[in-house]
Amino acid sequence: MIVCVAVVGHQNNPLYIQSFTEADDALKLHHIVHCSLDVVDERVNNPKKSGSTLNETFLGLLYPTENYKVYGYLTNTKVKFILVTTDLDVRDADVRNFFRRFHAAYVDAVSNPFHVPGKKITSRTFAERVSTIVKSFGSSSAG
Amino acid sequence: MEPDVSIETSSVIRIAVLPIGTVPPGLLREYQTMLLRQQTIPQSAISSFYTEHQKSPFAHQPWDTGSLRFKFILGGAPPSPWEDFQSNRKILAVIGICHCPSSPDLDSVIDQFNSACKSYASALVHRCFAFCPGDSQLEDGSKKGGNLKLFPPADTQTQEMHLQTMMQDIAASLLMEFEKWVLKAESAGTILKTPLDSQASLNSEEVLKAKKRRLARSQKTIGDYCLLAGSPVDASAHYSTSQELARLTSDYFWYAGALEGGVCALLLDRMGQKDPAMEEEVRYRYNSVIVHYRKSFIQDNAQRVSPLSFELEATLKLARFLCRRELAKEVVELLTSAADGAKSLIDASDRLILFVEIARLYGTIGYQRKAAFFSRQIAQLYLQQENRLAAISAMQVLAMTTKAYRVQSRTSTSEHSLPNKQIGSSHVDGGKMHHHSVVSLFESQWSTLQMVVLREILLSAVRAGDPLAAWSAAARLLRSYYPLITPAGQNGLASALSNSSDRLPSGTRCADPALPFIRLYSFPLHPSQMDIVKRNPEREDWWAGSAPSGPFIYTPFSKGESNESSKQDLIWVVGEPIQVLVELANPCGFDLRVDSIYLSVHSGNFDAFPVSVNLPTNSSKVITLSGIPTSVGPVTIPGCMVHCFGVVTEHLFKDVDNLLLGATQGLVLSDPFRCCGSAKLRNVSFPNISVVPPLPLLVPHVGGGDGAIILYEGEIRDLWINLANAGTVPVEQVHISLSGKNQDCVISVAYETLKAALPLKPGSEVTIPVTLKAWQLGLVDPDPAAGKSAFGSMMRHFKDGSSPTVVIHYAALGSLNWPNGVDVVGPDDHGVVEITGQWDYFMLDPIRFMKHVLAIRFGRRSDEGGGEGRIGFVLGLVEEEATMNTLGYFHKISTIIIWCRSWSLSSSGDPSTVGSSVPPGRRLVVPLQICVLQGLSFVKARLLSMEIPAHVGENLPKPVHVDSQSTERAIGSESKLDRLVKIDPFRGSWGLRFLELELSNPTDVVFDISVSVQLENLSNADNDSADQDAVEYGYPKTRIDRDCSARVLIPLEHFKLPILDGSFFMKDIQADGPTGSRNSSFSEKNAKAELNASIKNLISRIKVRWQSGRNSSGELNIKDAIQAALQASVMDVLLPDPLTFGFRLLRNGLEPAKLDSPNELNSSVQSSASKGPVLAHDMTPMEVLVRNNTKDLIKMNLSITCRDVAGENCVEGAKATVLWAGILSGITIEIPPLQEIKHSFSLYFLVPGEYTLVAAALIDDANDILRARARTHSPDEPIFCCGPPYNVRVIGTA
Repeated sequence: MIVCVAVVGHQNNPLYIQSFTEADDALKLHHIVHCSLDVVDERVNNPKKSGSTLNETFLGLLYPTENYKVYGYLTNTKVKFILVTTDLDVRDADVRNFFRRFHAAYVDAVSNPFHVPGKKITSRTFAERVSTIVKSFGSSSAG
Repeated sequence: MEPDVSIETSSVIRIAVLPIGTVPPGLLREYQTMLLRQQTIPQSAISSFYTEHQKSPFAHQPWDTGSLRFKFILGGAPPSPWEDFQSNRKILAVIGICHCPSSPDLDSVIDQFNSACKSYASALVHRCFAFCPGDSQLEDGSKKGGNLKLFPPADTQTQEMHLQTMMQDIAASLLMEFEKWVLKAESAGTILKTPLDSQASLNSEEVLKAKKRRLARSQKTIGDYCLLAGSPVDASAHYSTSQELARLTSDYFWYAGALEGGVCALLLDRMGQKDPAMEEEVRYRYNSVIVHYRKSFIQDNAQRVSPLSFELEATLKLARFLCRRELAKEVVELLTSAADGAKSLIDASDRLILFVEIARLYGTIGYQRKAAFFSRQIAQLYLQQENRLAAISAMQVLAMTTKAYRVQSRTSTSEHSLPNKQIGSSHVDGGKMHHHSVVSLFESQWSTLQMVVLREILLSAVRAGDPLAAWSAAARLLRSYYPLITPAGQNGLASALSNSSDRLPSGTRCADPALPFIRLYSFPLHPSQMDIVKRNPEREDWWAGSAPSGPFIYTPFSKGESNESSKQDLIWVVGEPIQVLVELANPCGFDLRVDSIYLSVHSGNFDAFPVSVNLPTNSSKVITLSGIPTSVGPVTIPGCMVHCFGVVTEHLFKDVDNLLLGATQGLVLSDPFRCCGSAKLRNVSFPNISVVPPLPLLVPHVGGGDGAIILYEGEIRDLWINLANAGTVPVEQVHISLSGKNQDCVISVAYETLKAALPLKPGSEVTIPVTLKAWQLGLVDPDPAAGKSAFGSMMRHFKDGSSPTVVIHYAALGSLNWPNGVDVVGPDDHGVVEITGQWDYFMLDPIRFMKHVLAIRFGRRSDEGGGEGRIGFVLGLVEEEATMNTLGYFHKISTIIIWCRSWSLSSSGDPSTVGSSVPPGRRLVVPLQICVLQGLSFVKARLLSMEIPAHVGENLPKPVHVDSQSTERAIGSESKLDRLVKIDPFRGSWGLRFLELELSNPTDVVFDISVSVQLENLSNADNDSADQDAVEYGYPKTRIDRDCSARVLIPLEHFKLPILDGSFFMKDIQADGPTGSRNSSFSEKNAKAELNASIKNLISRIKVRWQSGRNSSGELNIKDAIQAALQASVMDVLLPDPLTFGFRLLRNGLEPAKLDSPNELNSSVQSSASKGPVLAHDMTPMEVLVRNNTKDLIKMNLSITCRDVAGENCVEGAKATVLWAGILSGITIEIPPLQEIKHSFSLYFLVPGEYTLVAAALIDDANDILRARARTHSPDEPIFCCGPPYNVRVIGTA
């Protein structure tokens, strides 16, 4: 189950952070997302070590921490998508699929002429769409 | 667990360092640093202290390359339960440190040391180092011997040498002890236990097993000692034996220990050569170490003791070994697993150590955020301990995380990333932001994390009793995150701030600003009375070019230099207070009291005046900060110093600018100024401020009060402007000009008075008179109330800004500005100025020095070789207007102050660069606050024409040009008694026109109107024209009461041109003619201009003056109205008729004198006829004068008629009452241009009475000009010219 998704701007500024847990662990998830930027930075700076080609936007498993697994995705504009999940066995294809849909939602959100690039994403439509994607991620992996 | 472990830790000998007696902390630290330099003792150095008692068990001791390593543990450590397992955990030696001056009794020192050593049972060597012994102690101590080692006082180097020797001795002793221990262990064996081993009694099988295990364990321990002794090869051998034995007995814990030791031996053997193969080897072996430690986990005693810490230590050791950026992934995996293991750790301090190590390692591989995360965990563990020391540690750890979370204190940033001098320069480039500040703005969005960190810092600082750190944290929290904090929370922070400041000494400074937010609002320009103008040394009118020129506010051509213009220069004057406006904002939910705020100036030439201010909740305020520049030079104002919440902080404008910029880009939570309701402000660019030496300062005082001068339209009044020099420097140059609207209302300014008062010394003053004439109020806004309510109109006029201003440019003398590279010495007592330097040629242009003109001109003499020149010369004061062009000697030498402009042709060729340092001048703007009230209002003007026949006079030749007192004959001459216009009966009114002005007086005062007509060319008007006097007395005053209107008649005459020629009619001809040719357009224009000029000329001669009350007088400006009235019939007013006719009596056969001189004006009515009765029944000889006013010959047919009162022709017809002699009709004559002819005839009146004589002419072959003048429509139409009627009164009896 996905507990948190985040969009982080190219200056490592959080654009959108949403947790999907009932528990009051927002701070912890913030920390996890924040720390994952270290790994993203490292992968971006040493692309050959990460094993993926430059064109690959999906960064794969960034790191496992405590009970969570953190996945990353990097767009061409250096916007990062972070996914925190509690599922232990996650298929890469699922995550890729998730990120692709998430990316589409993000592109639609920032294409809004009233959105100021670099500002936090406040669109309610985007939030709804993201939660739909998050829910479907759970169901598709279950089913 | 132990901090700071690495693979090599196993080979390090631990030595406890204990202070014995009282050792001052500073000295203890000093001694410790001396010890720390002796951490590694090469084996080659200890051989002299080493004696081999028996054969060394360390067969492969590398005497040449090996070394012994020490770790000094200050204050010692309690024995570890695991010291059997890893011998390096034992404290193997004890060093006591004693400071002799504070412990005089050496015996007690020895006692203390011995008792201290007792708690270190494992220690093999004990030494007590006593520093700085006195002489007696030296003597005493040398007897004592034993473990007490005295260090005689010496310089640092000697002492270190001494210490090194001692340490080598210790190393040798340790080595020998190790040998002893190993030999004993090999022979006898030891019982080695760890807390892991079951405490319960063993059964027989286990006893057997334990024996086998014992061997493995002792081998492992011997290996440990070999490592400590610096012999890795021996160690390696023992470890492999131990491994085999341990594996057999499945003593995994010891197996892992032996493996670990083996790796350490391997590394030591290779002496730090890291090749990939070895790295692979180490990684492989260590993974096995970790696995075996994990295997050794026994469920039984898991509650009590666990090998987990060894597993984690091994993990950390491997991670440290691999810790490089390239292997980050591997290290992260290791650290992640180590972090996961933390949960199973029982001991909180173990967890603390683990997290510290993890954080450090993450930091090493560049994972700053991870490192920060773990640092925070550490801090939380510290905070759980609830004591002050732990809180201090927590605070320090948290302070390290602030960089990763971008909430660092300004103190830490200013040290490296932001050098202080940059502050001054960086604000200059206004909008540009520094990269790191941009990044920090972006990262500042992790507000959730940042606030938590800052809160924890605040908490730990409060607990640690560090009020400054608490203040700083609270300040950062409040300033950056106030929008996310509830008002209650904000209040809490505010009280935290004030609580912290209570514990701080007053005047404490903190690098982190709290509230309020301060931004630059504006630099008020100098009040117009103190305006500073740059002097252009190249020009006499140095102020020119300083004011914006051109009629446009925006010119596209100047756009190129907009960069410079936006960064305008500001000039401040030493000793003159200045002001800067700043805006403060308090966006928080409490009332903010700023105890003092003042400008922070780093350049040190400025005294700032503090003010205090109260900012209510959610408010902003613009305040004025002032100060006085104290010395010449540039001034930079990076921000404000604020004393608020008990601490002094510097608030930089640049920070707020960045913040606001971030707010516009949505990077920052909120704009503090906007949320306080302050309007958005454009970026105030920071000008370059320079301070110049004192300048003179003129203070104006306009005579007649500071209020407005109230004038009626057209009123003329004098006023006085008093100028006082309030500066400290005399005014030497001054220039007055006018600007603003309605400049022409200032008729005169007594510039000379001001000039004469120069130089105006400080404190002295001068009064200059100014004459004003009030302008006409605009006709577009006839405000009926204006006249009634003076106040209302006054207000309106201030708003209009329609008053003119007097602009006074003034300056002191400049200093002599020499070209670069020229030194000026002197003048000395004799006024000699020595100028030395290197130049090719330069020249000082004429210098204006007070009232003297002085010029110096010199060049390099040919006899002085090279570029070096040295010319001594005398400067003298030369009287007015003299110049000296050669070097010379002058007498009458006084103090030399020279203002000049000069430049060096050789240095740059650009004079402006050299001369730019002339001190600036000043501009004083004295607004003349003139309030013009509506005065007499003009209603309308029209032209009236009248025809009053003239009398035919007696032929009395009275040359008029002689008679200047001919007032009684002038038309409209005024008798002072009856004040009526009189018409000269002998002139008639032919061609006379009256301009009637209708004026009304809407004001509440009475106006007296007097009209005067000036004659343009009085010198020519020698013929009966009214001169100036006549004009003045000429017309009666007309009084117009309030709310009344009146008509004033102005006779128009004397305006006629002498000649009727074509030039005037060009326009009319063209207009009338069917073909308007293009080539005549120029002359047409010309003619039109001429016509306009004549009209203007005419109008300007009419002056309508008024007087009201005692001291109001002025002139009515009704030119436009008159022009409008005259426009239609201007030709008739201005132009003469082509022919003029005149009659006169010839009596007694006297020939009339020639009346009409060629220069006579256009006055056609030659009324020089003298008075005299014409008698009936008498032959009256008369003559008619016809004058040709054109430039062409006129042929005509003249006829004369005489009518009686009834208008009947009385010459012809049956009932003719007048007989005549001569020809009266059909007289064909030709008149040459500008000539006149006379035609004589005689009349015989039969009946007395009034008769009218009229001469008329039919012009033949009229030319275009005549036609135009006559306004004929067709060329065939005859032109008929009729003269004015003349009256003849015939007396006598019928």
